[in-house]
Amino acid sequence: MLRLVRVELVKQLRRPRTWVVLAFVVLVPIIITIALKTNPPSINDGGGGGDGGSRGGGVRFFFLASQSGLLVPIATLRVMSEFFLVVIFCMFAGDSIASEAGWGNLRFLLTRPIGRTRLLAAKLIVAAFYAGLATVLIIVSGLIAGGIAFGYEGLNIPILGLSMSVGSILAKIALSGVLAAWGIAGIAAFAFMLSTMMDNSAGAIMGAVGAYVVLSILGAIDSIGPIRYGFPTFYNGAWVDLFRGQSFGGDMVRNVVAQVPYIIVFLGIGLWWFRRKDVTS
Amino acid sequence: MPTTSTLVDAPVEVRDLTKRYGTVLAVDHLDFTVGAGQVCGLLGPNGAGKTTALRMLVGLVHPDGGESRLFGEHVRPGTAQLRRVGTMIEHASFVPHLTGMANLRAYWEAGGDRLADADVDGALAVAGLGDAIDRKVKTYSQGMRQRLGIARSLLGRPELLVFDEPTNGLDPQEMRAVRELLRRVGEEGRTVLLSSHILSEIEQICSHAVVMDRGKLVATGTVAELVAAGASAYVEVDDAARATAVLAALPGVERVVDESPGLVVRLAGATRPDLVAALVGAGVGVQTVTSRHALEEAFLGLVGEETERHVGKGA
Repeated sequence: MLRLVRVELVKQLRRPRTWVVLAFVVLVPIIITIALKTNPPSINDGGGGGDGGSRGGGVRFFFLASQSGLLVPIATLRVMSEFFLVVIFCMFAGDSIASEAGWGNLRFLLTRPIGRTRLLAAKLIVAAFYAGLATVLIIVSGLIAGGIAFGYEGLNIPILGLSMSVGSILAKIALSGVLAAWGIAGIAAFAFMLSTMMDNSAGAIMGAVGAYVVLSILGAIDSIGPIRYGFPTFYNGAWVDLFRGQSFGGDMVRNVVAQVPYIIVFLGIGLWWFRRKDVTS
Repeated sequence: MPTTSTLVDAPVEVRDLTKRYGTVLAVDHLDFTVGAGQVCGLLGPNGAGKTTALRMLVGLVHPDGGESRLFGEHVRPGTAQLRRVGTMIEHASFVPHLTGMANLRAYWEAGGDRLADADVDGALAVAGLGDAIDRKVKTYSQGMRQRLGIARSLLGRPELLVFDEPTNGLDPQEMRAVRELLRRVGEEGRTVLLSSHILSEIEQICSHAVVMDRGKLVATGTVAELVAAGASAYVEVDDAARATAVLAALPGVERVVDESPGLVVRLAGATRPDLVAALVGAGVGVQTVTSRHALEEAFLGLVGEETERHVGKGA
């Protein structure tokens, strides 16, 4: 299994698209830092999107980032987790089986003594690894660029009632990364499931991103009613509450729990489909 | 359900194998066995079900009925016996952004084996790709991909090789190289199952043949047996009408067909010298006597003239 995972890791690593995506996630925090340094936001500037409710709005991240470089990764994560990071997750997940099928290589891979469950597990591990790596790179790049531009001080802004030590911010950054990534896991599992069904990775990726967009739009419409609370996308910005003086709980827990059934169902269907699939590509 | 094997050591054993796609019965209760050391051609027109049968044989496609066995073991996806099998099902495909060598490594190590145990040098020597092995596969020609595909199938010196139309899409020079390579592999004593719709290819390479048509088994045996069943001669004479009458009356001649400018004589015991003697004795001038493409005749006899349109007579 380890050898198979290593093979799949290398296969993905040598793909130009992987490097382009990883370069983007490194560059975006740097560009945001340069923008904040050259044109510092005021305390009255916007909070980086959101609806002002408990699902991620209302925090002036760009202003905070200009006060402490430690907040640059959070501001970047906030912006990127709304769409770009979702696309990246769906790309790694949707690419896994469908790209092999698209190359015509799947039928050769499966003539090795590899159980289909084992191959799917290895592909899932690799997709999760690169999705996680993208999240980590956003944070690391943001920390480095932010620290150079604005220093690594704690945050103390009495007018906003905010006071956080360096240690507290770093802990919250780590938790934010985990929660932001986990908040996309349900949709990524959907992309992975589609990948087992298609011979075209673009179809799997676009299908999952499309589903995310639709659910996000529906989730913003109050008239949809309580059903939207069950969407995997509804609470995925809740980690921002960590920077509104809250500790882990409330909508953050709902976000964690909401992903679980989607992950189980989509991965289960993907496995069932792939095991019974006639491989012709 | 798996059944008890009748030939436990046979590299390939197919019993009552059936596959349906919607209303199309792609493989219809197929039975055949390939013994150790045989170079067996799976012969049939396009759409005969050859590729589907081979896919089921290596666990890529689930049969609707019957079973296939590799070295006596029931085939399931990812079965351990695949370690003893090298395959090239349809055209050779690879991960395009990896080099030829990286593709071989990825393929081999995915099965949990070390590349050092794969006899890469031996496989590469057969493929003859030279320095191109370190180039990305997306820069390869179709012929180079096909040769790399054969190299991939030879990794680990498998006991059984399964090839599906290995010369498809190649130019005549590349075809000849691939056939030569397959012949060498067969001469090494390995078992080969090779599908093709090109009659001359099977005749040149194979010791045995399985003939399929419309998903069904039509005939099986050695190529010599199949050829003997359909032996014929092509004769050019100065008086076709008289020659037809003379030959039709000759014992050991089954049929005489006018294929202007000559006659095709299907033989059932008579020999070419018999034909010449009869014609000369009857005062008919004989210009040419040659044997017809033997397997082609046999094949057409087995699956019918209707199939001729879909079958290549060689390249």
